[in-house]
Amino acid sequence: MSDIIIELDAVQKVYFLDTVEVEAIRDISLEIHSGDFVSIAGPSGSGKTTILNLIGCVDKPTSGTVIVNGQRTSDLDDDRLTELRHRSIGFIFQTFNLIPVLNIRENVELPLLLDGLSENETRAEREKWVDFLIDSVGLKDRMLHKPAELSGGQRQRVAIARALVMKPAIVLADEPTANLDSATGESILRLMRKMNETFGTTFIFSTHDPDIVEEADHIIRLKDGIIVEDRRIDEDRDDKLGFRPSVRATSPEATGTGLTGTKATGTEGSQA
Amino acid sequence: MISARLAWRNICLHRKKSLIIGLIMGFGILILFVGNSLIDTTISGLRRMFVEGYTGDLMVTGPTEFSTTVLGETAGSEEVLPHIAQIKKYEDFLEARQDVASILPILSGQVSFGIGEEELGSGYCFGVNIFDYRAFFPDNLTLVSGEWPEESDEPWVLLSEPTYALLQQSSDIEVKPGTKIIMTALANSAGTVIREVSVKGIIKFNQSNAQLSGITLVDADTMRDLLGFASLRDGAPQLSEHEAAFLTDFDPDSLFDNLFASQTITTEGEGQSELGLEPSQLDIPEDPGQEISQASSTTTVIAEIVPAWQFLLIRAKNGSNTSKLLDDLEAFSEELGDGDRVQDWIAGAGKVARTAVTIRLVFDLLVAVIAVVVVMIMMNVLVISVNERLHEIGTLRAIGAKRHVVRSMILYETTFMVLIAGAVGLILGYILLLIMGKVGIRAPNLFFEALFGGEILRPLISIGAAGRAFFWVLAMALVASWYPTRVAVRIEPVVAMRGD
Repeated sequence: MSDIIIELDAVQKVYFLDTVEVEAIRDISLEIHSGDFVSIAGPSGSGKTTILNLIGCVDKPTSGTVIVNGQRTSDLDDDRLTELRHRSIGFIFQTFNLIPVLNIRENVELPLLLDGLSENETRAEREKWVDFLIDSVGLKDRMLHKPAELSGGQRQRVAIARALVMKPAIVLADEPTANLDSATGESILRLMRKMNETFGTTFIFSTHDPDIVEEADHIIRLKDGIIVEDRRIDEDRDDKLGFRPSVRATSPEATGTGLTGTKATGTEGSQA
Repeated sequence: MISARLAWRNICLHRKKSLIIGLIMGFGILILFVGNSLIDTTISGLRRMFVEGYTGDLMVTGPTEFSTTVLGETAGSEEVLPHIAQIKKYEDFLEARQDVASILPILSGQVSFGIGEEELGSGYCFGVNIFDYRAFFPDNLTLVSGEWPEESDEPWVLLSEPTYALLQQSSDIEVKPGTKIIMTALANSAGTVIREVSVKGIIKFNQSNAQLSGITLVDADTMRDLLGFASLRDGAPQLSEHEAAFLTDFDPDSLFDNLFASQTITTEGEGQSELGLEPSQLDIPEDPGQEISQASSTTTVIAEIVPAWQFLLIRAKNGSNTSKLLDDLEAFSEELGDGDRVQDWIAGAGKVARTAVTIRLVFDLLVAVIAVVVVMIMMNVLVISVNERLHEIGTLRAIGAKRHVVRSMILYETTFMVLIAGAVGLILGYILLLIMGKVGIRAPNLFFEALFGGEILRPLISIGAAGRAFFWVLAMALVASWYPTRVAVRIEPVVAMRGD
């Protein structure tokens, strides 16, 4: 079994809405292994996003412990949490959250631009890597377009490329297909799976779509802020994930170029 | 530099908001640039006129409660300005300094002019040593007719053109060099003093206004007499034969029937002697250090004659710190303890310069008030802009932008707008000033004429005014962006996880 990359122990999160105390999650304990493709499922208000926020270090628990990539998040100040997010976590948002004033290439490159060049990295290498990711998500010909000129599916592909540009250990996707039609949603999920397998990146996505939940090899179900199911399906996932063989068919090993990517099509449209 | 790139793109994306803020900034810079240039032109013109023509950089005056103009006007007082009792000490102090170029003592007051028994008009008069005066203000005096006075000349006057014109118009006699005129003044203690002087020439002040062009120059001793400082003339009194004879026969003791002790008068080196001196002995040498002693029968008091001067004008060397010189001089004056006043050219220039300085203060105050309003408007627009970008800033924070990146982004936005709006405002201001310089601003009345230093003000393009305008607006913009920046850096990354 691979290393544990995320660990939540007896985590509780309470929000205060004016004077009303709302307990979003309680007594949550879970472990996620490196390289997992994890779905967090549950109806609206079950606490999916709260758990993603805690894992993504954009929020802190009211009680309990959250350990991400070996670091206890409650011990870190804002700068170090930002650093942890920057280095270890990629984000894919339900509403894509691309920066409207930057073109596709710049959006993908953005996390890299927040740093200077490292010692063992040249600008050319960095640009090659960005181009490679954009090509991998099938948007090579849209590189200089602004987000507003893309469909919902294409924007989400850009978001996936941006999430991976820092080569993070973890990618969090909050309802990544919620604003997309089913075909586009499926292609996005397929792309995420491909990246998961190609780079060994841990993918954690939340969803309330039962069909998509089953695409994961680690399913965490929530209801009313508590875990009702925490199931790993390593052994029999080939039988369960109908699209997996096709993903594997376009794996880097199969193409010899690292990644083939799923081409964006004109049929992908946003429902946002 | 991603902050700068994002800032620039945001300005371009939110054009309307950028335009509103840019217009406010640009207009502010334009107003400040043009306004400050006009004031700078006025003040530098006045400064040049007064410092190089009338007052010098600084001046010491006799003891007075309020500042006194070089024309001898003191607020709330009709009295003649007292003389500087220890002027020699000031001269020694100033001559020893490296930052002083030259000094000039003068007397000043208002006198009436007449010919014969007829009084024809009045005007301001400076009592000067003409050689020293011309050396101190080499470029401000032109001899229109006549000749410059010589040291040996009898009491003389150099009439200003307006005074000459007045006398010429009011008198049947042709006024010309050599004409005798009567000067009258009301001295404090001496009552009305009348002196006859000879017109030596007609002069013109090269830099002047309606008031200053009327100043007449007269020899210092005549002016001392007119102001009531007759006992403090420069050098020994020159007695006529009749005066000497009167003194020879004069016995003060006989007036009081030996009620008081006898008095003696003596010249230095001769020791004590009886009052009855020969006329030749009363012809006291012209040495200014000459001493007259008055003594009772038992004591002799030696008194040095120091000629009376009411003003000591000081020219500082180019580039020297006149504020420091002023401070040092004030301290020195304080040490002497006579209550003399040390003041700058603005006080010496009087209400015209004070008005110009006041206009600047009022303008700055107005700018400060407007600045507060503008800052509030800009702050509101920027806060709205930040609030509209909560999601974007939250996303930046989520993907690893630290707070300083967000702060830089907002500050870059402000700075870029100031640079663009500033450039536009300065260019428009430059064009406006060029047009004003060509066309000129006509003074609506005599006061403005004095303020403008002429009938028409042609504003100069002041680099200093441009710089001040730019930095004012930059400061306003940075103050205005303080709160929005604070709002922006407090946006938590969790905001990105919420829907649009």
